[in-house]
Order: sequence, then structure tokens, then C-alpha cells
Amino acid sequence: MKYVYYPGCTLYTKARNLDACARKAAARVGFELTEMPSWNCCGAIYNTTTDDLAAQVGSVRNLAKASQLGEKLVTLCAACHNVLKRVDDRLHAQGNEVERDRLIAFVDEKFEHRVQVMHYLEVLKNDIGFDKVKEKVTKPLAGLKVASYYGCLMVRPREVLQFDDPENPQVMDDLMAALGAVPTPFDFKAECCGGYLVVNRRDVARTASKRILDNARARGAEAIVTTCPLCQYNVDKLRPGGDGAMPVFYFTQLLGLAVGLPVEELGFEYNAFDPKPFLAQKGLA
Amino acid sequence: MHIPSGLSLVREIEELSGQVVADCYQCGCCTSGCPVGEQMDPPPSKAIRLLQLNKAAELLASDGIWMCASCLVCGTRCPRAVDYARIAEACRALILRTRQSKVDPDTVTAPELEEIPQQAFIASFRKFSV
Repeated sequence: MKYVYYPGCTLYTKARNLDACARKAAARVGFELTEMPSWNCCGAIYNTTTDDLAAQVGSVRNLAKASQLGEKLVTLCAACHNVLKRVDDRLHAQGNEVERDRLIAFVDEKFEHRVQVMHYLEVLKNDIGFDKVKEKVTKPLAGLKVASYYGCLMVRPREVLQFDDPENPQVMDDLMAALGAVPTPFDFKAECCGGYLVVNRRDVARTASKRILDNARARGAEAIVTTCPLCQYNVDKLRPGGDGAMPVFYFTQLLGLAVGLPVEELGFEYNAFDPKPFLAQKGLA
Repeated sequence: MHIPSGLSLVREIEELSGQVVADCYQCGCCTSGCPVGEQMDPPPSKAIRLLQLNKAAELLASDGIWMCASCLVCGTRCPRAVDYARIAEACRALILRTRQSKVDPDTVTAPELEEIPQQAFIASFRKFSV
């Protein structure tokens, strides 16, 4: 199976490990991500003011471009996914035809049809199936107790994202179970890490993200998995120095590990705290 | 750009946000769920109350509207389907459209630029800067 893939800016630089593991793991699981040529910034955050059309343009162009290439557009960064999904929803909302025509006319790309914006996790769950993913596991995660942290962007607004329960999502937990880990429920699965407030209010983001880490630990988790570069940064990096006992992984890193990608290809050098000693202790690296 | 005052300011915020402030019955669900509610002044329910009392200028002058991380917990849990994140964004838009920024991109340091994911910068500048 082939998919049109939109990586987004952060996955080319600070979250290159999220991206690299996803592409390589896809090949092992049985699908292919073909990067969309000449993609542009999605806008990084969805603008909600009713009259601001300019903020939608970047994503509209990506959606138009994708429509020339296929039926489904696969995302991986939670922020890109959220923005593309919401712009798509706005574009096709009933009664919004005038705005849609203006936006599409503006981007100067042929808009062939509406594409289905899908997150990588949705491909694994709906198109491949977690039972099939399980068959591809060559290195089961040895009962590792993993807390799946979804954050905000994957699950809200619920009616647009239609991803999972906005208070108690399960998709990533189910994937972790398929990989041989033990999904560990905790109270802050879909709680905000402080997001972009880290830029001007680092203290606020630190308080918010520390709460997530502390709760996962208190509920018995040994590691956290994320799907967003900003969640990953806030939870992994903002904790006080030396507190590296609880590794924070991208879900694609654990997926890659379980389907047999070599450890040196999983990009652990980009994690704030090196998780290799922890994995070695578990007999996984 | 001219910012209207009094009741017309509340109407302007309602139009930009697509929300109706009278729908709120002050249950406080939004404030109790807000991940930064302790530091946000005024917190969501109180901010909406200010608008119900026609005190929009007070809300526009507050720090609270700049503390929202757009996580959407408030609107998701609201039993009356009022989305405070959209209201805060409308308030910020009215200020940003007079070309006043809250965050100055020039104050970002080189180590921060090196370290923080760029999605955070773009999001922050789109929400807090012109």
C-alpha cells in the first residue's frame, strides 16, 4: 500500500527520529510513505477567528497538492495533523462554499477532490490492523510498562479529529500492546503539556509537563510514548537535570525497535535523555 | 485599527469567536479542567462572566487571554458548548490587529532557537505576535 505523506517542518530537523523510524517501520509493516513534493508549512496551529482566511491558505495549498497525488494524506506530527484536519473540515463545512471557492482560487493549485487526512496511527489501526502489526514484531517489548501520552492535538476538537475518546484515548495503548508492551493507564493521557507557551512562559510549560511525567510514574509506568515533537520536547527536556530515569520515546521509536530495526537507526541520540541504558537493562538494546 | 467599546466590543468578540457568551451558566467546568487555570488570570469562566457583565475592556487588558495554550479542554468539557479558547483568541486578535505584540520574536535567544521545536515558535508567533 502506498500513501502520500506530509512530514512537516519539525520532522525534518528536531524530530527527525520521529520521521525516520516511521518511514523505516512502515516498510517492515507493509506500507510505503511517498513524501509529497513541494509541501509547505501547515501553519503549525489552527487559527479559530471566523474572518481570518489568510491563516488557512498554507494548509489549503497542501490539501490541493495532495489531491493531485492520491486519496489519502498521511501525517505524523500531531500539530500538522490537527491543522490539516481542521482546515479540511472548515473547507468542506456545509454553507461554507463561498469561503472554500475563494481559498481554492487563491492557492493556484488544482484541487482535484477532497483527500482523507489520516494520522500514521490511523493507518496502522484501520488500514493495516494491529493484529497484522503484531505478526511483524520480531523483538517484543518484553512487558515494558508504557504510558501512552496523546496530548491535545490528536484528540481535540473531538468532532473534527474523530480520532479517539478525547478524555481517555486508547489507540496508542492498543499499538503498544501489539508490540508486546503493557499499556499503563494514567490520568494525564490527553492533558496539555503547555504547548507553545514554552516559548515565552517556560515555567508554565514546565509545571504542566512535569505533572504528566510524575503521574505516569506514580501509576507505575516505566516509559512514556508521544506522537508530537512539542509534547516530546516539553515532557522529555523541561524536567530538572538528571531526572532521566523515565525514558520518553516517540511511538515510532518503539514500533521500529519491535519490528526489528537496528538500535542505531532509531535516533535515540536526539532524545533529551539517552534511553539506551534503560533498554539494555530490559534486554532490548 | 479602532477597537470598539462597551456592548459593541462584546458583540465583536462574539462575532470573531462564533460563540455566544450568554450561553454560559457559570458551572466552572472550563476553569477546573484548564491545565494552566491556576496561573490564568482571569480563568476561563471568570473571563466569560466579564463579557456577560459588559466588561470586555477589562478582559482585553488582562494577562489571562495570553495564557491559553489552545488545548481545547474547556470547550470539550463545556455542557453548554461554549469554546473559551475561541473567545480568548478573538480578544487577542482585536489587540494584535492594532499591531501590538505580546511576544517579540527578536527576544528569542540562539540556544532557544537551537533547541525548541520550530512548530512551537510558529504557533507562539501566530497566537501572540504580529
